[in-house]
Amino acid sequence: MNIIKIAWRNLLRYKRRTLLSSALIAVGVTLVIVFGGIGNSFKNEVIGILTNTTLGDIQIHRKGYVSSIDSLPLDFTIPEQALPRIETLLSNDSDVKAYSERIRFGALISNFSQTTNMRFTAVYPEEESETCPGLPKRIKEGDANPYTFIKPGWIVIPQNIAAGLNLKVGSDAVLVATNKDGSVNGLNLRISGISENILGPQGKDGYIHIDDARSLLRIESGGITEIAIKLKNFGTLAKTYSRLKNDLSDFKGPQASNAPGTKNGSSPNKQAQAGGSILEIHTWEELSPFASIAQIVSLLIIVVRVVLIFIVLVSILNVMVMSVYERVGEIGTIASIGTLPSRIMALFLTEGLALGFLSAIAGSILGSLTLLVISASKPHFRFGMMNLILTPQIPAGEVVLALVSVVIISLMASFQPALKASRMQPVEALRHV
Amino acid sequence: MSLVMLENVKKTYITEEIPVPALGGINLSLEAGTFVSFVGPSGSGKTTLLNLIGCLDKPTEGKLFFSGVEISRMNRKAAAQFRGYNIGFIFQNFNLIPVLTAYENVEYPLIMVQNVPPEKRKNKILNLLEKVGMAEQKNKYPFQLSGGQKQRVSIARALVSEPKLVLADEPTANLDHGNAYNVIKLMHAMKREFNTTFIFATHDPKIVGEAEVVYVIEDGLIVDSHKNKSAVGGTSR
Repeated sequence: MNIIKIAWRNLLRYKRRTLLSSALIAVGVTLVIVFGGIGNSFKNEVIGILTNTTLGDIQIHRKGYVSSIDSLPLDFTIPEQALPRIETLLSNDSDVKAYSERIRFGALISNFSQTTNMRFTAVYPEEESETCPGLPKRIKEGDANPYTFIKPGWIVIPQNIAAGLNLKVGSDAVLVATNKDGSVNGLNLRISGISENILGPQGKDGYIHIDDARSLLRIESGGITEIAIKLKNFGTLAKTYSRLKNDLSDFKGPQASNAPGTKNGSSPNKQAQAGGSILEIHTWEELSPFASIAQIVSLLIIVVRVVLIFIVLVSILNVMVMSVYERVGEIGTIASIGTLPSRIMALFLTEGLALGFLSAIAGSILGSLTLLVISASKPHFRFGMMNLILTPQIPAGEVVLALVSVVIISLMASFQPALKASRMQPVEALRHV
Repeated sequence: MSLVMLENVKKTYITEEIPVPALGGINLSLEAGTFVSFVGPSGSGKTTLLNLIGCLDKPTEGKLFFSGVEISRMNRKAAAQFRGYNIGFIFQNFNLIPVLTAYENVEYPLIMVQNVPPEKRKNKILNLLEKVGMAEQKNKYPFQLSGGQKQRVSIARALVSEPKLVLADEPTANLDHGNAYNVIKLMHAMKREFNTTFIFATHDPKIVGEAEVVYVIEDGLIVDSHKNKSAVGGTSR
């Protein structure tokens, strides 16, 4: 017999009340774990799609590019003489798995009878496949080989453009684009692949080989507008971002010939030229509106946690207050026998703790089983233009957090009743027998 | 040296700001190993006196000594520790812990108060349960026991910590005459066995005769005291 055994028997003494409170706490913990598991699965799935197919984990641009990204400006290019240093920096970084240099631009695409506008990302296929390994898998028709999905003279277009312009794999098309000097140029190309419409709300993003882009835009060399970076471990995102940001701060203002916006006499990079870095670096979160949704999901998980805290607090407090109230005489007895006030307090704290902890364990098991069932059934649904398959993992962190929270809240909720019990005068308490 | 000595002990309760005297100045000296009874009608101050001797309450005035040590000014923790090692209690309503078996109820003071290691507990408890005639009922919970059986367990619990003094407040009030007589007889036997001082409060004249020393209390004062030479531990009924 010890305190835990006595506490356990006292809990069983009022079976209905204990069961009811325990069930409430267990359901609360289950909800936190299930909601946390599904929420994190949803977030990770979408983040995985975004970073593996388009964004990469981190991107480097010329300073000011992201704030003008809607117009895909071609005068905010990364200075050519800075590229070797950046490449060396990224190649030597142990956390960087791959990177892909890109030129992004807007163009008109025509099937010779109809025309529509598109956004193109010019890439080297090997680099792009290493950086965004999910991209070739999204090519549903044509060449989906990671190393050849884009070849000089060929382009990849999304399904809706292909349908709208009646273009098929092997069809000819013309791209017309305006370069940074305002000259218009056109290029005959052939469709090598048709991809899912995952690349933006209108699904108007296509891919072109970087050599073709330079030819179309009349760029002899360089002209890189962004560098997408893939990390070996997504968990090192914050650390790597911080380190790269620090390293890139050494890239000071460019030579006058490379300064953007000099054509019309206004330089959007005055700050960079004044001595600040000419480059900017962003994580995927700063580049995708989904980051806000991810934050809302995280916020909802926090709300569910707060609800759990209140459930535990009210349940345990109710049980313990009632327990002390109903056992005043018994408290008088054990106090008169010589039980120290600290032991009486420990006895009631143990009861509250046991109720909370065991209920949380039950809730964790129930929540984990629920997630396993959901994971096994692999439910899928559409989010925007993305097909998502939910395979929630048991969130170990969430389970531990729920257990620790419940234990702490149980102790807090039991404290006042336990203190009251320990401070009872034996004579007063014995009168309640 | 007296085991218990009271010097002009007074106790006044304040009820709705009105002072209500419960004890009006008690002077008393009790020797170790005696079987003492406080006798008097309800409200005479017997329980208050037991509570003060048992360190459960503090006097308004006066001093209490236990084996020469003043116990009337102890704080809550010191008083609890003192009770745990020196005083056993037997209650009118038995006050067994309902979630513990008879064995565990007797074991409780050894674990929760005196921290006695397991190997030293078992024989002691079984021996005591045997002596009070409850060895066969040791695994029963209080709700499975009769009133007399509960009080026997209660006596074993009071004695298990080997106290110098056992206080029993109306120990037979909830028992029929036969059981009451047996409980008093048992207390006598335990007193002889362990040389423990027993003080019990009662207003039952039938069991007063079993006490060796009788103090009659009325209106918070000792109005009479006498030694009862015929008290020999339940040889007559």
